Amino acid sequence: MIRHIVRKEFTDVVRDGRFRWCSVLVGSLLLISLGHGWVQARNAQQEHAAAQATAREHWETQGEKNPHSAAHYGIYAFKPRLALSFVDEGVDPYTGTSVWLEAHRQNDFLLRPAQDATAAQRIGALTAAQVLQHLVPLLIILLTFGALASERERGTLRQLLATGIGRRELAAGKALGISGALALLLVPAALVGAAALVVASPGPAASPLARGTVLAGVYLGYFTAFLALSLAVSAWARSARTALVILLAVWVVNGLVAPRVAVDLSKWLHPTPSAFEFARTVQSEMSTGVADISPPDRDASTQRLLAEYGVERVEDLPINAVGVYLQESEEFGNRIFDRNYGALWDTFERQGVVHEMLAVAAPLLAVRTLSMGLAGTDVEQHRHFATAAETYRRDLMRQMNGDMTENSLTGDFSYAAGAELWESVPPLQYAAPTLGWVLGNRILSLLVLGAWLAGAILAAVARVRRAEVG
Amino acid sequence: MQTAESRAGHTPLLEARGLSKDYGDTRALDSLDLTIAPGEVYCLLGPNGAGKTTTINLFLGFVAPSGGQALVSGLDVATHDRETKQRLAYIPEQVMLYRNLSGLENLEYFAALGGRGSVGRERLTEILVEAGLERDSVDRRVSEYSKGMRQKVGIAIAIAKEADALLLDEPTSGLDPKASNEFSALVERLRKRDVAVLMATHDLFRAKDTGTRVGIMRYGRLVTELSTDEIGHADLERIYLEHMHD
Repeated sequence: MIRHIVRKEFTDVVRDGRFRWCSVLVGSLLLISLGHGWVQARNAQQEHAAAQATAREHWETQGEKNPHSAAHYGIYAFKPRLALSFVDEGVDPYTGTSVWLEAHRQNDFLLRPAQDATAAQRIGALTAAQVLQHLVPLLIILLTFGALASERERGTLRQLLATGIGRRELAAGKALGISGALALLLVPAALVGAAALVVASPGPAASPLARGTVLAGVYLGYFTAFLALSLAVSAWARSARTALVILLAVWVVNGLVAPRVAVDLSKWLHPTPSAFEFARTVQSEMSTGVADISPPDRDASTQRLLAEYGVERVEDLPINAVGVYLQESEEFGNRIFDRNYGALWDTFERQGVVHEMLAVAAPLLAVRTLSMGLAGTDVEQHRHFATAAETYRRDLMRQMNGDMTENSLTGDFSYAAGAELWESVPPLQYAAPTLGWVLGNRILSLLVLGAWLAGAILAAVARVRRAEVG
Repeated sequence: MQTAESRAGHTPLLEARGLSKDYGDTRALDSLDLTIAPGEVYCLLGPNGAGKTTTINLFLGFVAPSGGQALVSGLDVATHDRETKQRLAYIPEQVMLYRNLSGLENLEYFAALGGRGSVGRERLTEILVEAGLERDSVDRRVSEYSKGMRQKVGIAIAIAKEADALLLDEPTSGLDPKASNEFSALVERLRKRDVAVLMATHDLFRAKDTGTRVGIMRYGRLVTELSTDEIGHADLERIYLEHMHD
């Protein structure tokens, strides 16, 4: 019985000129944003690879110099664009994708496209994720608001129910028919996305197909929740116009109001310092230390080395005491960085939790978090890379200071290392987090989205059962 | 014509037993008792608010009775929703169809939902033609149909369902005399196939012409019941008007 309703509903929707125009518009935007995102991601990846190779070449060919000078010379690290980043660029335009690794400093990331964007670009930047998160739900609303309300208004609901068909069967058939029509739009886009991923992945692999499959599941759940919610409202509302107004209000709250409220509320609950304040605090603590982290004492360090090696003069030490002191300074700086950056990252994470919790009021917030997470462009994965880059920087500094310590004597400023040392430094090998790591971080969003889906379906079932014939 | 009494051997296809319906403090239907046997056309006459449409809604299970029972082939509508609907066909005052589908596609859809999905397109086309639709109109989209044409599709839906009983709610309202005549002829053909028909109408002439029995309702009560064999058009009008005066 349901198949007849599905077929009729599908035919009815597909023949509707409004659907055709809307789907052409949304489909075009989706394909354009996918294509544009893919080209951008590929270009960024190629530029990063080229820049990384150049930076490495500069490092290896920097000539003979003191290892600590080489540490100051530094090297750039580029955050790889993961394969799915062409779907959702997430926070990358705001956090940056490259960082200069040098002695004594944990630098901020550079290359933030948002910094270079014009005002118009900031407003109009379109990604596939935005189309999926905002426009597809709008299309679902436009297709579904009249599913039962219009039937009731037109009088066809009486005729339909008089045939013996149940309300639930009717609603299920309508939902499947509308889904079929939407599939005409979304399946080709999903296939294009999958093909882009498989044939010419724009970024390095980090289980892209598994991530892509889960991402598709997340959006499917989001769309199903909207479809069920729209059916529930259509069954409940006295008229199709009322149903449309209610659903458009839900769409505005979900897509426009809730994200803004989430940003403001999370900042209010967990404030973050301005970039200037943060830099000033780090600089101040680096100069004087804090209660439990003191700057290294050069004299004490020297005395410890003299005692350790059983000599009375610094000149008699078999190692370079300056190298030891420089490494101790690094360790001190690292503790200050860990303290400040750790607190900053933790605040960002707490802000993220506020976003995830507010998804109870707006499923978009859960979907957005999951989408960025699966695309590898969320704050947590930015932190993951930043931590890896910082670990690499610290290893590099340790190696440079260690070489200086072991291969020169205190006061010997003529020591210079060469290409052999530079080449012995391995390039940064970054392994992106696994799918399990990403999902483990996003349990709350998964649960909230699941609750939205279950709640919307239950509401639809309950409202449809009680739908008035008119 | 046979009356209900002459068909006493048959189980009534439609039966109301003390059927009542309250909307808040308002009693829309008050202890209605009636039986309609196979091959009977029972016309419910009465002004707006008399309880005619409420009666039909109760037989369709669209509203729950406040008291009594509506039975279809002996089955209580309240407890056998699907089974009773499968035995019924319904034509409202305004047959509403899907504008983006053709007349034939609409018929296919409603026939399939009514459990007649196996009926082929050729047979359905014949049914549309039998209902009075021009053959070259069946594949046109319903958005191009007149009210009369939509009403004929409604009749075709009822014919295709091969239901035991037909519920008609002001079916000729707004139709021109020719279309109304064609409609009456169709009802007569269905009656001869032993279909039981319950028709709510304001049209005294059509009730006398099409019905086998007439029930006059007022304020939710069946105030009198007449056999159309025993009265003329003028009698029916006089009796009706008498009951409409306080």
